[in-house]
Amino acid sequence: MKSRLWFGLLCIGIVLGLYATFKVYTVGFGLYAKTDVLVWTLPLSTYIFFSLTSAGLAFVSSIPVVFGIKRYEAIEKRALYLEIAVLIGSFVCLLLHLGSPLAVIYIFLSPNPSSPLWWLAVLYILYFVLLLSAFWGIHKGKISKPLGVIIFLIAIGTSTTLGWLLGMTDARPALNASFFSVYFPLTGFTSGLGALLLVSMVYAHFSGREVTEDRSALYNELARIMGIFAGMVLVIFLWRTISGGISSTAVEYRAFKHMIGSIPYNIELWLGLAVPTLLMLVPSIRATVWGKITASALVLVGMFFGRLEFVLSGVVRPLGQMLEGRPEIVSYVPTIYEVFVALFGLSAMLMLYTLGERYLRLDAVPE
Amino acid sequence: MPRYAMVIDLQRCVGCGSCSISCRNENNVSEGFYWSHKITETSGTFPNVRYHYIPTLCNHCTNAPCVRGCPTRAMHKLENGITMHDPKKCIGCRYCMINCPYGVIYFNWKDPHTNWKDKRELIKGVTSSPAEEVKKLDARGVPYYNPHRDATLPGIRPKGVVEKCTLCDHRIKEDKLPRCVEACPADARIFGDLNDPKSQVNNLLGKFRPFRLKEAQGTEPAVFYIRDFSSAGYPRTKGGI
Repeated sequence: MKSRLWFGLLCIGIVLGLYATFKVYTVGFGLYAKTDVLVWTLPLSTYIFFSLTSAGLAFVSSIPVVFGIKRYEAIEKRALYLEIAVLIGSFVCLLLHLGSPLAVIYIFLSPNPSSPLWWLAVLYILYFVLLLSAFWGIHKGKISKPLGVIIFLIAIGTSTTLGWLLGMTDARPALNASFFSVYFPLTGFTSGLGALLLVSMVYAHFSGREVTEDRSALYNELARIMGIFAGMVLVIFLWRTISGGISSTAVEYRAFKHMIGSIPYNIELWLGLAVPTLLMLVPSIRATVWGKITASALVLVGMFFGRLEFVLSGVVRPLGQMLEGRPEIVSYVPTIYEVFVALFGLSAMLMLYTLGERYLRLDAVPE
Repeated sequence: MPRYAMVIDLQRCVGCGSCSISCRNENNVSEGFYWSHKITETSGTFPNVRYHYIPTLCNHCTNAPCVRGCPTRAMHKLENGITMHDPKKCIGCRYCMINCPYGVIYFNWKDPHTNWKDKRELIKGVTSSPAEEVKKLDARGVPYYNPHRDATLPGIRPKGVVEKCTLCDHRIKEDKLPRCVEACPADARIFGDLNDPKSQVNNLLGKFRPFRLKEAQGTEPAVFYIRDFSSAGYPRTKGGI
């Protein structure tokens, strides 16, 4: 019964997403809360959320092959599969962000290596193919060390290139902090840990299967690492606020100053970083299934809103002639179609993952 | 090879907006888009206030961040310095809009000129509908459709791609001035070749102290501004405490 309800909910999410896709490609992107100022909004921030979570999962899945920590092999298959599912969720959102997705062929026909976006596209294609190969290998019971190392390196490449992509935008300093190439992998790792911990805990709880002592210890270790990383992100996040949002006198930072009081900012700060850090600092909470579920879910919710806050910090202040006839800060509320796009990415990802959990023995430990 | 640039004389500019209107007609620009636009500012405190008007367009930057960031080279530089866009290659990522410090690039969120597709009569039984007007004139999209624009760029750009000023590259190819330059009744826009030391553009840049928008960005715009309009005077004073 629970399983049917779950699949039913995911199907509703996918159907709503397909409806949004149909409308967006027939009516146009005017269905989004667009103006010529808000050029990047919820669909793109959701894509960033998924893609960085996927990179974070790649770091987790690479731990046994890159760093030789054997006990992490127990979660490698699940992490790798989740990585693929999350990446597909990100592609769904990206496709619904691009105005002309068919022209993507020109990435190959007319390449521009000076563009971080070009590198990102190439890296993602490579990443996806390698992930599928690595998963196929693990599914057949074999871990490929070279493949694991390459995936690890590409995950570093994708998350740091995303930092370069936004770091290149001299016109929008709120996106242009040089530490984003560090901040993105770090936050990606945190959300990757959150995603893996959440699905593992939920699966353990609802499947009714007994969790072995080794595996339970491993989950506790993951929860502790997630708490540590959430704390580290919190420190960097606060410094970003202090340097860009409080100390800076540059007019370009007014967009970020505006975002500091916003709902996404506060969800990210309090629910996504402060609370999970505190929860995971307390050993008695960390040891419980519900403690881990709550903390990891909060980390993911916080990161989701964090990506939105980040994207909006770059765009809510009109530049140049776009300011003509507009207020200094443009307000943003997502439309129902944008929400459907985010829901589509999430539902597609969860559907793929649920099917994998059911048919692909994600608990299996490779040789 | 020439390197084209524009000088805008703010003393001559009266802010009439002919540049913007003529640009719309020449390039079949859709509603809400401004390939040629303006920045207006007021300064001072009432009753001592002043109004400033700066005409704007794509700056055709030498170090164009939109070109650097475009993953498919849809946004590219021509040899003559013009920053050009190829909608066929555009994936609609809008990264150029994020990178442009001047806010001169627009995205086609929907089909352009939708108002002219309306089949409803403005006044029933009296006027024709916008769609009928377009059909009567055998035009494309808008009654004032300019087919010459098709020479180097789709006359009307499709939904899902960006667009911006091309410095009327199609006219330059025919040795004509950009339409906004030609249409300016005050001759406030002066167009020419930076590589020609004797061009009018170089003459003015050497005579006055030009400035460019957001020079600190290092984009090296090809649109220069000279002088400023002010008819105001004031009695000589040292101020006071």
